[in-house]
Amino acid sequence: MTEFLQYLVLGLLVGGVYALVASGLSLVFGVMKIINIAHGAFLILGAFLAYTIWSRLDIDPLLGIVIILPVTFVIGWGIYWAAVRPVRSAPIASTVLLTFGIALVVEALMGFAWGNNATSIRPGYGSESFHLAGLYMPKAQVYGGLVAIGVLVALGLFLTRTWLGRAIRAAAINPTGAELIGIKVVTVSALVFGIGTAAAGAGGAIIGVLYSFVPGTHYVWIARLLAIVVLGGLGSLNGAMIGAVVFGLAETFTAAYVSPAWATAFPYLIVFAVLLIRPQGLMGSRLREDAVAT
Amino acid sequence: MLGRVLVGVAALLLLVFPLLSDDAYYQNMVILSLVFAIAASGLNIIMGYAGYVSLGHGAFIGLGGYTIGVMATRFDTVSPWLWVPLAGVVTMVVAIGLGFVSLRSSGASFVIITVAFLFLAQVVAVNWVGLTGGSGGLTLPLPGWDASYLNWPFYYALLGLLVLQVALSWWVRRTKLGMGLVAIRGDESKAATIGINLPVQKIIGFAASSFLVGAGGAVYGYYLTFIDPRGMFGILLSVQIILSLLIGGSGTLWGPVFGAFLIEPLNEVANNQFGGGNIRLLLFGGLLALVVIVLPQGVLPAIEGLLLRRRTAGKAGLVGARIRTEGVSLESLTSRNAGTVETAAPHAILQVQDLSKRFGGLRAVDHCTFDVRQGSITGLIGPNGSGKTTVFNLIDNTMSANGGTITFDGHRIEGLPAWDRAHRGLGRTFQITRLFRDMTVLENVVAAQRAFSMSQLTHIAVSGPEAKAAEELLQFVGMRDFRDQKARALSYGQQKLVELAQVLMLDPKLILLDEPAGGINPVLIERMGDMIRELNSYGTTFLIVEHNMPFVLDLCERVHVLGRGATMATGTPEQIRSDPAVIDAYLGEDFELEPERVQ
Repeated sequence: MTEFLQYLVLGLLVGGVYALVASGLSLVFGVMKIINIAHGAFLILGAFLAYTIWSRLDIDPLLGIVIILPVTFVIGWGIYWAAVRPVRSAPIASTVLLTFGIALVVEALMGFAWGNNATSIRPGYGSESFHLAGLYMPKAQVYGGLVAIGVLVALGLFLTRTWLGRAIRAAAINPTGAELIGIKVVTVSALVFGIGTAAAGAGGAIIGVLYSFVPGTHYVWIARLLAIVVLGGLGSLNGAMIGAVVFGLAETFTAAYVSPAWATAFPYLIVFAVLLIRPQGLMGSRLREDAVAT
Repeated sequence: MLGRVLVGVAALLLLVFPLLSDDAYYQNMVILSLVFAIAASGLNIIMGYAGYVSLGHGAFIGLGGYTIGVMATRFDTVSPWLWVPLAGVVTMVVAIGLGFVSLRSSGASFVIITVAFLFLAQVVAVNWVGLTGGSGGLTLPLPGWDASYLNWPFYYALLGLLVLQVALSWWVRRTKLGMGLVAIRGDESKAATIGINLPVQKIIGFAASSFLVGAGGAVYGYYLTFIDPRGMFGILLSVQIILSLLIGGSGTLWGPVFGAFLIEPLNEVANNQFGGGNIRLLLFGGLLALVVIVLPQGVLPAIEGLLLRRRTAGKAGLVGARIRTEGVSLESLTSRNAGTVETAAPHAILQVQDLSKRFGGLRAVDHCTFDVRQGSITGLIGPNGSGKTTVFNLIDNTMSANGGTITFDGHRIEGLPAWDRAHRGLGRTFQITRLFRDMTVLENVVAAQRAFSMSQLTHIAVSGPEAKAAEELLQFVGMRDFRDQKARALSYGQQKLVELAQVLMLDPKLILLDEPAGGINPVLIERMGDMIRELNSYGTTFLIVEHNMPFVLDLCERVHVLGRGATMATGTPEQIRSDPAVIDAYLGEDFELEPERVQ
């Protein structure tokens, strides 16, 4: 029972980190209808940035998120203007290939900058744990989960309580209508791409503390993230959160009770199962495909 | 002409290449180019024609490679060549399974499932050690032929497969199946309304795009003689295939082949001159992003477009020409409706009962009930926002209803997908025309499928009886001269006429016309009215949404008036004209039909 409780808490904590990263992916899809394959690469970029901040400047990697957020935001914002904007009205088939290309380029650049050897971040508390009521909680997991939830709450407040946040949601629901009431959708899209990238970067900093990584690790992460947003329902922010938590729990339990080797297959099986049984995901509504094309 | 000469020269070069060079470096490069050419040309069927991106085609090569690897290491007494067709079958079966999971819905989920498949294949290959040898891989027996043949048997096997692949790709594009796939790329939900069975056609297209890729993968695996998860299911394999297709020209016959022979040498240079690894990633990723942004149509179509522009410079286009409006009667129409005019007991061909559609809290259609009599021309009028077009969308399943029943020709159809409704004889045009913009006028018309059968999918669409019927219909609507123009070059009015011909290709019993007279000139409106009457005289029933009151009231024998999503009045044009409720809600106090505008 204690063991079960422990996996439950660990699953929830890791689910919080997944939720942060997946919310960025879902936000971008919601506003731009772009499946951002580069999202996993942005995550690993966040991890490398955290590594540099920690090893060169001796700043705690989780604290480093304060620096990583603006840096990755600007990177995402810049990429939007340079590469995504020219094809923003292209069909999903083109944009998915574009972001795939961006993912490869980012992977290559990370390889040049940081090398292709396994990198890990080990702050002082990296090997310590909390002991509470017989539960054994690695400090890094607890801090990481809490920080992720903190950033996520801030993002949620931004989206619901500020004018800009409402503009973003308006642009997601009805771009044409948003234009009509004075929201410049291109500007909003650039911001959203930046925010999405920053969410990936912040999540990456946390993940970098928890696991070791190489530039090529981003494939594993994009697979996980796609599984999460498919599970939650493409484009639904709440769905992404719920999907992330469910996924985090399921993954933790599979690794603990079934087999760690096959746990790597888990995300892909989730995708297959969800698309087979409920293509719109847990929270998603089916995309409107009936709108008259003009 | 120039194109054919170039293709001929290239084919000849490939055929005699072994005589020209025995350099191992170039030999390897050409063999790999052939593998990628087969894969890119296969991918072209699902991605180029149907517009569905598969990031998993690299894994089909791997699947083929593993099939031959697993079989050849277990049965070492038979020739490994035997497993090449088996590899094709295995790959196709897997593709059909994937298609069943993901192709029933559209776009995004297919991309995701192909990515998931690619990674899953790798995980399985690593973990299922008993079958695949795990990360250690499998080593195939060395080929048994004389060493002086070098690798040329592999070369000619791949060349043969490439010929088959290009032939398949060429043939598919000319059939009803290919026309359906291209229509799906253009406008999927419109394709459904002209009788194209979306999931079945997409799954068949995906199967066709995978078979020879698997077979090619098997030859590739045999050639390498060593098969491991990294090499066979690496993501860059898929990237190179996609890149070859995109750079050469997605949707063209020779583009993918050309692209493969362009990219593979680049790949070799990146690997050998620059040490591979990150440089190769940068090259592929950068090229992929660049092609999508700068040259989305690919090299061959770009060159073709350039040549076409130079050739046609200074010549006037046909598209501005006046539409010939003299009446042409129809010979090919309408087997399905023949004889129905005689048995004119006026039963209802369409009955709509309590039909409802909500958008959130807004009830766009609210318990709407009406019927359309067999052989009639019936009008559906009402103020803007009263739910007319939504009713059309519900009847042909462009949207699904929240409640109510639709009975068409004695059968309940509200649960049927759009293509089934089309096959039963329901045709529909759109208020804002929805032709397939990249297809020619003729292709637009032959894309319609009046029934579904596997054998019918293999019919050649662009010539023979299908094309003849389409041309007759185009002649009827006065658009035959435009048959080879792209639909996007046509004016709005011309598009309306082509869309009518497209719907007629379904040989429909009932045609729903959404504002046939909207936005076209008076002469054409008159011609439109004549055509509707003529078609009606052959037995076709019409239901017309229209705001042009003189047009509707003159044409229709019965009119339903919609208000707030429900039927508020029904009657003859005279009754409607004098109904106080209708005047109040729609026509207005000062409505007066000017007889001289109706002719």
